[in-house]
Amino acid sequence: MDQLQSLLQGFGDALTPVNLMWAFIGVTIGTAVGVLPGIGPALTVAMLLPITFRLEPASALIMFAGIYYGGMYGGSTTSILLNTPGETASMMSALEGNKMARAGRAAAALATAALGSFVAGTIGTLGLTFIAPYVAEFALNFGPPEYVALMAVAFVTVAALLGPNLVKGFASLAIGLTVGLVGIDAQTGQPRLSFGVPAMLDGIDVVILVVALFALGETFGHLLTGTGSATVEPIRGRAVLSRDDLRRSWPAWLRGTALGFPIGSLPAGGAEVPTFLSYSLERRVSKHKNEFGKGAIEGLAGPEAANNAAAAGVLVPLLTIGLPTSATAAVILTAFQSYGLQPGPQLFSESGPLVWALLASLYIGNIMLLILNLPLVKIWARMLTIPAYGIYAGVLVFATLGTFAAGGTITDLLLLYLLGLLGLLMRLADVPVAPAVIAMILGPLAEQQLRRALAISEGDPSILLSGPINLVLWSFVALSLLLPLTLAVLKRRRHRTPAGSDVPDH
Amino acid sequence: MEPNPLAPPIPLAAHATLSVETEQALPAHAEHDRGTLLASAALGIVMIVGAVVVLVDAASLRPSDEFVGPAVAPTTVGILLGLLGSLLVLQAVRHLRTATARQALPHRRLLRLAAMLALLVAFAVLLPIVGYVVASTLLFTGAALLLGAPHPARTAAYGWTLAGLVFLIFDRVIGLALPTGPWGF
Repeated sequence: MDQLQSLLQGFGDALTPVNLMWAFIGVTIGTAVGVLPGIGPALTVAMLLPITFRLEPASALIMFAGIYYGGMYGGSTTSILLNTPGETASMMSALEGNKMARAGRAAAALATAALGSFVAGTIGTLGLTFIAPYVAEFALNFGPPEYVALMAVAFVTVAALLGPNLVKGFASLAIGLTVGLVGIDAQTGQPRLSFGVPAMLDGIDVVILVVALFALGETFGHLLTGTGSATVEPIRGRAVLSRDDLRRSWPAWLRGTALGFPIGSLPAGGAEVPTFLSYSLERRVSKHKNEFGKGAIEGLAGPEAANNAAAAGVLVPLLTIGLPTSATAAVILTAFQSYGLQPGPQLFSESGPLVWALLASLYIGNIMLLILNLPLVKIWARMLTIPAYGIYAGVLVFATLGTFAAGGTITDLLLLYLLGLLGLLMRLADVPVAPAVIAMILGPLAEQQLRRALAISEGDPSILLSGPINLVLWSFVALSLLLPLTLAVLKRRRHRTPAGSDVPDH
Repeated sequence: MEPNPLAPPIPLAAHATLSVETEQALPAHAEHDRGTLLASAALGIVMIVGAVVVLVDAASLRPSDEFVGPAVAPTTVGILLGLLGSLLVLQAVRHLRTATARQALPHRRLLRLAAMLALLVAFAVLLPIVGYVVASTLLFTGAALLLGAPHPARTAAYGWTLAGLVFLIFDRVIGLALPTGPWGF
C-alpha cells in the first residue's frame, strides 16, 4: 500500500506540465533515434547527457527514461520495415516482422509490435514499481563483499552472453576495464595511464567511450563497407489488428513478458536473451508452425514483448542496487551520478519523490508511445527514407557536440577519434561493444568495493566468500563461466545433426 | 543471407536457443570470413600492445600500505588484456587456413576513411577559431559528401541549418557555452 501512495504522489509530480513536456520530448526523441538505423538509446542518452546538464535532475531523468523506452518502440519499426537490426535485441523482431512486411502485412506487424510493447512495457513497469522497493530493502543488507560479488556476476554474464564466443566477449570486457582505469587513483592520488595529458587526469568520460564505440564505430564502418541499398517496405492500410491477429498475438505478448521481465530483472547481463527464448517458445507452441520463417505474427509479438519487458526489468537492478546490466542502463547510471545521485538501496529513502516521479513517468511515457507509434507510424516510417549520409553526418555533429560539452578540450575530441577507430576494429572483428561500456563504468566501482571489503577484513580475502548471499553469487559466476562452454558444445552438436531434427514441420 | 561485416555479433545464447534453420536466417556476421579473422588478429595485437603499456604504467606506481594498492587493478587488467589479446590472435590464426574468401575492400574506401579522420581532426582544430556553427557546417558537409551525398550545395545548406539550430537550442536556450568565431556564432 505504501507503494501505491508513493506512486500516486509520483504521478502528481510527473503530471505537471513541465515534466509532461520532458516525457514527451524524451519519447519523441527516443522513437526517432530508435527508427533511425545505427543510433540507439545508449548513444542518444550519452550524447544528450553533457548537453542537458543544466536541466533539473527530474526533468533530465524523465527525458532519458522516455528515450530509453522510446528507443525500444522505434527500433521495432525499423526492423520490420527495413530488416537491418542494429542491435541484438531487435534481431528476432526483424526475422518474422520483415517477412510479414514483405508479404504486404506491414501494418499488422507494426500494430502487434506497438501493442505488444505497450502491454509488456506496462506490465514490466508494474513489476518494477512493486518489486523494486522490496529489492531495495533487501539490498540494504549488502556490504562491500556482496557488491564485489554482484559486479563479478554482471561482468561474467555480460561477457559470456553477448559475445559470439567467450574470448570475444571477455576481450570487450577487458578493453572497457582498461579505459575505466585511466585517471587519478582515488586511494593514493597517483595518475594511472594518463601519460601526463591533463584531459586524461580525471579519467575518460563515459560519454566519450559510448559515442566513440557506437557513433564513430558505426560511421567509420559505413565508410568502409558501403551502405548497401535497403528497401523500405510500404505500409498498406491502417496499423490495426484483425480479430485473428489479435487472437494469435496476445498470448505471445504475455508469454514474452513472462520471460522478459524476470530475466531482465536479474542482476546479470543478457537482457537480449529473452527475445531468443521467446522466439523459440513461440515456434514450439504455435499452431501455425509452417508460417515461421515466412512471417508468423506470434514470432514477432513474443520477442517484441520480451524485449520491452526486459527493458523494464533492467531498471530493477539499476535503481535498487546501482548495477547496470545493459549499455543504456550504464549510461543512465552515469546520468544519475552526474546529478550527485547514487542509485542503490538508499535512493528510494533519500530521493523518494524523484524516483517515484520517474516511475510514474514510465507509465505516462508508455501511453504516449502507444499513441505516437500506432496512429502516427507512417510519419516515423518516412524517416527511414532519410539517406544514410544525412543520418551519419548528423550523428557526427551531435557526437562531437556531446564530446566537446563533456570535456571541453580538443584532446577530448582526439581521444574520441582514437577510440572510434578501436570501435571500428571491434565491429569488424565481431566483438560486441556493450560489455566494454558496462565494464568501464563498473570497473572503478568494483575496485572501490574490493578495497572497502578488504579494509573491513583487514586484508583477509575470505570475507569475499562469507555469508550465504556471497556463496550463491560466486557459484553463479562459476556457472556462468561454464555455461558458454556448454552452449558451444550444444551448438557444435546441433550443427552436426541434420537440420530440421528440432523443427518437425520441415 | 549475405554476410554483413557490421551486423551485431550473434550471441552464444542465441546459438543455444534457436534452431539451426532460424539461426541461418539471421543477418550473419560471417564468423570465419577472412576479413573478420584479420580484424580479430589486429584487435588482438592492439590489446597486447595495450597490455604492455598498462603493465609498465602499473609498475611505475608508488605502492601504498593499503591491502589493495594502486597497482593491483591495473596489473590484473593488464594481464587479462594481454591474455585475451593473445587468445584472439591465436583463434584468428587457427581459423585463417579454413577461412572463406575475404570480402573485397576497395582502396578508395580506405582513402575515404583517412579523409574522414582528417576532416574530424580539422574540425577539432578549427572549432575554437571559426566557432561552432561554421566548424559543424564544414563537418556535416564533408562527412555527408564522403558518405556519398549527391548535391554539395544542398548538403551544405542542410549542414548550415542543422548547425544553426543546434547552436540556437543548446547555446542560447539551454545555456551551454559553445565556442564562437569572430562573428559571434
